[in-house]
Amino acid sequence: MRRDWDGLLPRTARLADESYLDFVTSFRARAVQQMYPMLEELGNAVVGREHPAGTAPGIAEIQRSLDALPLVRVWQRFMRSHQEMMWRRTRASIAAEADQWLAAMRDAEARGPGRLLYDPAFVVPDYARVEVHLQPGGYTDDPLGGPVFHYGTHVFYQGENAQDEQHVEMARKAAAPRDGAVRRVLDLACSIGQATVALKQRFPAAETWGIDVALPLLRYAHLRAAERGVDVNFQQALAEQMPFPDRHFDLVLSYILFHEIPWRITERVVPEVARVMRPGGTFCIYEFPNASGSLSPVAQFLIDYDSHDNCEPYSREFVRADFHGLLRDSGFDVAPGPKVANGFLQSIVATRR
Amino acid sequence: MKQAQAPLGAEIEGPGRRYFDDVVIDNLLEAMLELTAAVWTHRDRAMVLEQVLSRLLAESHGAPDIARLLEQHRPTAEEQEARRLERDALVSQVFRSFARRPAADSAPLGAGRRYQEPRPRAEQAS
Ligand SMILES: C[S@@+](CC[C@H](N)C(=O)[O-])C[C@H]1O[C@@H](n2cnc3c(N)ncnc32)[C@H](O)[C@@H]1O
Repeated sequence: MRRDWDGLLPRTARLADESYLDFVTSFRARAVQQMYPMLEELGNAVVGREHPAGTAPGIAEIQRSLDALPLVRVWQRFMRSHQEMMWRRTRASIAAEADQWLAAMRDAEARGPGRLLYDPAFVVPDYARVEVHLQPGGYTDDPLGGPVFHYGTHVFYQGENAQDEQHVEMARKAAAPRDGAVRRVLDLACSIGQATVALKQRFPAAETWGIDVALPLLRYAHLRAAERGVDVNFQQALAEQMPFPDRHFDLVLSYILFHEIPWRITERVVPEVARVMRPGGTFCIYEFPNASGSLSPVAQFLIDYDSHDNCEPYSREFVRADFHGLLRDSGFDVAPGPKVANGFLQSIVATRR
Repeated sequence: MKQAQAPLGAEIEGPGRRYFDDVVIDNLLEAMLELTAAVWTHRDRAMVLEQVLSRLLAESHGAPDIARLLEQHRPTAEEQEARRLERDALVSQVFRSFARRPAADSAPLGAGRRYQEPRPRAEQAS
């Protein structure tokens, strides 16, 4: 028997799963909120001492300096271990109710108000089939990936996104076009549709779409939207090759997509977004920071660690790339976007010329 | 279109990573995490259990002394066997790291030392 939902969040199959994952959440909060600031302070001081002002040490030199701090290795061990524990238990908990989840997602397909569109012949590109963040099967290969991703990210957000609070904030603050006309909205790489639904609630009259490469996530996105009676459409598609006409959308939102795809794909996605947007339309981007030069040594170390050891294979090239230049060259005017609760992210409003 | 299938969870079920020159330190820290998770899980359950029981028994027994009832409890053989199985599972969970990385060279070192690109799942299947 499913233990049902806590508002928008599914309950785990067993109380023991919830307790275990609550522990992982508390542990993560401690590692992120207490250990990391300590590491930042000690680590930046150590690197600063070994590299005089004016010289910019490379990542290998930063790592060599940081290696002397026992805290660094302990922190790396704890980050990797708690993340593995989180996925192992989340996957096991959802799998204990696999039949019910699969049936619920299958049944929802026939229900509206919105639609779920996919082509059985769609081929997922290899670059997208990695176990990002260590999630078993990644986004694309586990039929239970939707609910697994949802509960897993609930732990990742340290419980602060149980009712989609962060997605609601981003949708609420997204910059609308100056002329105010919002007829069609797109959530680019929408995962389980948390921002897609929030966008529809902000612009109830707009036709709203979420696209993603990962069908398991979209099936769950559609189930969640159908349960709530929200009229949004989901489609399995590639951001670099979208099934939409030119000048179609007034507003496009993307939340942490670009650091998760190879830069060569980003170079195709940005012009493709420009193609499907009308002049004056706004592209609201919440993303990893760029320009590693301006990051502290420990922040550079963190991104590198996350890339190597938390399976974010493409984030390093994104952080070092000229993303703003690509946006400008593809036909956008680039301006700072609204500040959001997650201060690590950069926020951009790119307006289609 | 059928695509190549590698087993799910190569990242979390493989040897994982090692950060210390002595892998036993990695294993110990991981075991500590599992142990604390297990302690919390059981403590949490005991707290829920006591709540549920006292709410249930409040009507028939007034305010029952749950702690005393627990001390007086005599398990059956069947129950003892079930508890043994649970206990063995706890031991495996806490100490899985040592079996996962039994030797010094049994896992790649962490970031910045000896790094291997993750392989796309399609390649892993072949
Ligand atoms: C970190 S998640 C994005 C989070 C999501 N926007 C949210 O609101 O929570 C990255 C997403 O990008 C998707 N993705 C990766 N490559 C893609 C591509 N080429 N086209 C469309 N989606 C892609 C993945 O399947 C995954 O759902």
